Amino acid sequence: MSALLGPLDSHGRVPPRQQTRVAAFLLSAHGALARHFAVALASQSGAARQAELNAQFYREAEIMSLLFHGTSWVPDLELAFLGPRWEAVWLLRPVSGVADRLQGSIIDLAALGHAVHAAIRPAALLPTDASPQDAFVQALRRIEFESGRLIQAQILFLKSAELAPVRDAVSAAVESRHAEVRKLWRGMLLGLGVRCDEPG
Amino acid sequence: MPYLHHGAYRIRYELVGPDQGPAYVLVNGLTQYAELWVGYRDALANKGFRVATFDLLGQGVSDKPGLFIGQDDQVAVLARLIEQLGAGPIFLSGISFGGLIALRYAIAHADRIAGLVAMSSFAELSPQLLLLGNALRTGLILGGTSYLQDLLLPMNLSDAWLGPQLQNLEAVKRQGWLTNDVYALQNLMESFFDFKPLTPLLAAISVPTMILNGEFDFLTPRALHETLRIHIPDSALVIIPRAYHAFTLEKAALTIDLLGRFAEDVLAKRWTGGQSVWIAPDEAGGPLVPFPSDYDHLRAIPARRVPA
Repeated sequence: MSALLGPLDSHGRVPPRQQTRVAAFLLSAHGALARHFAVALASQSGAARQAELNAQFYREAEIMSLLFHGTSWVPDLELAFLGPRWEAVWLLRPVSGVADRLQGSIIDLAALGHAVHAAIRPAALLPTDASPQDAFVQALRRIEFESGRLIQAQILFLKSAELAPVRDAVSAAVESRHAEVRKLWRGMLLGLGVRCDEPG
Repeated sequence: MPYLHHGAYRIRYELVGPDQGPAYVLVNGLTQYAELWVGYRDALANKGFRVATFDLLGQGVSDKPGLFIGQDDQVAVLARLIEQLGAGPIFLSGISFGGLIALRYAIAHADRIAGLVAMSSFAELSPQLLLLGNALRTGLILGGTSYLQDLLLPMNLSDAWLGPQLQNLEAVKRQGWLTNDVYALQNLMESFFDFKPLTPLLAAISVPTMILNGEFDFLTPRALHETLRIHIPDSALVIIPRAYHAFTLEKAALTIDLLGRFAEDVLAKRWTGGQSVWIAPDEAGGPLVPFPSDYDHLRAIPARRVPA
């Protein structure tokens, strides 16, 4: 069991099976966020958050495009079982302690975005000798870097004065989403023989 | 790997050294992690101290709350760790952010410790420190942990240390980059949003206190340490020659020696703080020299002290 992806081939590339599984997971997570942002964008025409939702939607779409084009795809039959399990977790749900269902959904979307952008650090899985010229390596590094920026919208919203009256519920929603995302991410990596040693 | 619990969160800590010895607790700076104290841990344990190191809430292997980390939570975590150490004499030391947490603990629980070592610490956010902190936070947000490290390394370490590392900086940064998460560092930085100056409370620190300040500390310059010296009754300010903010990394042997001597002096009742000012030796084991009494230790040029 390793803490990193690999072993790399002689060109510093991650094995295609690992690329496929990791990319499928990231596509599932970021694709779900893109879908949620698209719906939110359509339903909040003229709202103050529209510009940020627009940016989030297109950045998530960019991440998906990077993965589509940067991954050396190989057949992976297990994805037929794993994919629906992952997708079920990305569904939005009410937030306990928030009576307004719409506000609860928005909080849950932000909590999910926070968890995906914070808890998943794909570049940290790359060995130091991974080829910086490889498209998959570049994609993972770019996704992690962009996640650090994308999360700012979630942080601003979740810490906003608007949500101060339901701060405990918001914090609980974020912790819950973090726990779910970390569990899925670690489980997916374990399936590849990669152990992600984190508490929680 | 043992863990403490603070609410739903887990705090990774480690105790090394004799069970019955006096204890040293070392508190990390903002971007640090417990392994950076390994040299201190082993050296102080060899001197007979029981040494406690840990990752603060939001750091390293400890849990990282998603949204909010209050400094009161860090003090509570530290209190929980110190509870583990029994009734023997306990020396508490922290650097930078960790120094601030140690100061806050000492204000609230001075009766629980035998001595305090505040390193590159502060009790107030001066305009410079406030603006630097804001800029560092923006750097973290826009450029990630790696960019924050790029800003901090040249700010906090000397040319003499950086020079030989220039071709190896990515490797130097890697563990810190792996261990720290952007959102968690951001939470630690944002714990200053409701920060109130500690200066009016410093007099509550009744224990012997050694204040260590790098000669060239740019991030927390002399004036911030002077506030500690003036307001902590049994304090002494020790200036580390040719050192910057992160002298615990750069001058570990000297700092370990100073920590050990401080505790030994306190235990032997030889310590005399007296709000005095000293110059540390260049190397471990050398004598501390009183700062010339007729010169102003707040100046960077040899200016005569102006009577208050």
